[in-house]
Parts: sequence; C-alpha cells; structure tokens
Amino acid sequence: MSAGDPDEELLSRVAEGDPAAIRALAARKLPRLMSLAGRMLGETAEAEDVAQEAMIRAWRQAPSWRPGAAKFDTWLHRVALNLCYDRLRRRREVATDKPPEVADEGPAPDRGLQARDVGLRVAQAMRALPERQREAVTLCHYQELGNIEAAKVMGISVEALESLLSRGRRALRAALSDMVEP
Amino acid sequence: MTRERFEALAEAHGGAIARWPEEARAAAEAFVSEQPQAARAILARAESLDAALDAWRPPAPGHALRERVIAAAPKAVRRAVRWTWVIGAGAGAGLCAATAAGLLLGATLSFQTSQADEPVSSVMTAYEAPALGEPVETTT
Repeated sequence: MSAGDPDEELLSRVAEGDPAAIRALAARKLPRLMSLAGRMLGETAEAEDVAQEAMIRAWRQAPSWRPGAAKFDTWLHRVALNLCYDRLRRRREVATDKPPEVADEGPAPDRGLQARDVGLRVAQAMRALPERQREAVTLCHYQELGNIEAAKVMGISVEALESLLSRGRRALRAALSDMVEP
Repeated sequence: MTRERFEALAEAHGGAIARWPEEARAAAEAFVSEQPQAARAILARAESLDAALDAWRPPAPGHALRERVIAAAPKAVRRAVRWTWVIGAGAGAGLCAATAAGLLLGATLSFQTSQADEPVSSVMTAYEAPALGEPVETTT
C-alpha cells in the first residue's frame, strides 16, 4: 500500500538525524499541516500549535516507521486531524470559547468582490459546515488527497466520503450562491 | 457512464476529472467525448465552486514555527538513537557481567563442594554476602 511513498527515503534519513532531510521534510509537510489545521480550526495560532505538535510526533515516529502499513502523509494527516478534533472538542466544552469572528460585510457595492472578500466568505461558509463535511472537503479539495487516501484518513468507506463531499459542496454552493453558478 | 453519475461525481469531486476517483476517470472521459456540451456545462458549474473555494488562502507557516520545529527534530531523534545505543550497550555489558559471575559461582561451587563436605547452602551464603556489597563481619 505504501508502494511509491514519496516520503519514505526522506524519513529514513530523518531517523538518522540528517539535518538536510529534517529541513526538507519540514519544508514539505509544514505548509500542508498549516493548510489542514488552518482550515479545520480557522485560526492561525492554533493551526501553528497543531502543525508543530504533529511534526514533533513525526520526528519521534521516524526511527520506528515501518513502510508498508500506510503512507506517511496519510498517517500525518490522521495525527493532525486528531489534534484538531481535540481542540474543537475543547471549544465546545468551554462555552465562552467561541470560534473567531470573521466580519461578514458582503460584497462591497462600489468595487465588487475582491479575492480577499471571497476568501473570507468561503472561510465562513466552511466554518458553518458540519465537521465531517468540512473535513471531507478539506482533505479532498484543499489537501488534494485521492478518495481512497481521504477515506482512510477519515476511517470511512469511499461511498460515505462521496456522500459527505456532495453534501458539503452543495451547502457551500448555497452559501456562496451570489458568486458561483447555481 | 450515465449523465446522472457524471453529475454526481462533479458535485462531489469538482470540475477537474483528473481529481476524480481513478477508477471513474476513463468512463468520465468517454462521457465527455460522447456528450461534450452537457459534460462541459456540468464541469463548468463545478469549476465555479472550485474557483471560489481556492480564494481562501491557507495560513503559511511562519519562520519562527519552521525554526522551532527544525530545532526540535535533530535533538529528539539523535538523543533517542544515542540513548537506544547506550541502553543496548549497557544491557550487553550487564549480560556479560552476569555470565561471568555465573561462571565464577559455578567454578567456586564445584571447587568448594569437591574440597569440603560443607553443605551447598552455606557456600551460597558465604558467596552471596560480599557479592551484595554488604560489610562482612569477621570474627577473630
């Protein structure tokens, strides 16, 4: 299953403490982890904490990594998602801990929608999705995982993943109806 | 592939067939060839949502984060490897010492039992007391 795992060679060098490999793996994975955690949590500082913790676990895992069980990237996504869910659970438990507000100013009347405005609208729409739909859209659209890998990370069947994706994207289309084809 | 299935795949996976499930791509391309107009309309609709989603840029890892992560790695990995080596070497040395002690004990027992008619238990007691590092009281 891990045939062609692009991280395997780098990981074995990381396990030996090779500084160049460590830099290379960090450069390869940190942006992906920030993208994943940033989109799941909607907050940069928390996303950085998750990315750091996930990478530290990766360093610990490197010496005992056994090729064949799963791709390293899939494992790392699972680790980061678990960390995200821990934080989301904590938010729910603490009533006063509300997710960060994003100003909803709508399209500016005189200049139309700028890219930043669209980004904010999308962030809001994504945040409004149920967590599992948000996770499915994040893994498949933003992280560009294939359906088999994404389903594996989520621990569901590919059919269930497709259902989550369809519902998620339908909800996003409805929320962004003024800027996408209906 | 039916039009309904093509629509369902576009709804779930977006407007780029290259990002659809691998097993569905050939049939999807065949559908595009058979019904280009309908296929293009379905894909364009999905692409418009893809484009909007792409406007949300992810937070980039800051320099400080990158340096923190990199600084944590070599120490953690090397220390783990070094300690593994030290523990392994220590265990090996311990095993050697235990083997040597066993051989010595065996030799002592066989020598003493053959030289004297003392019971083995008293020989063991005589051997074990100094081995534990306790002071031995001598009577003069």
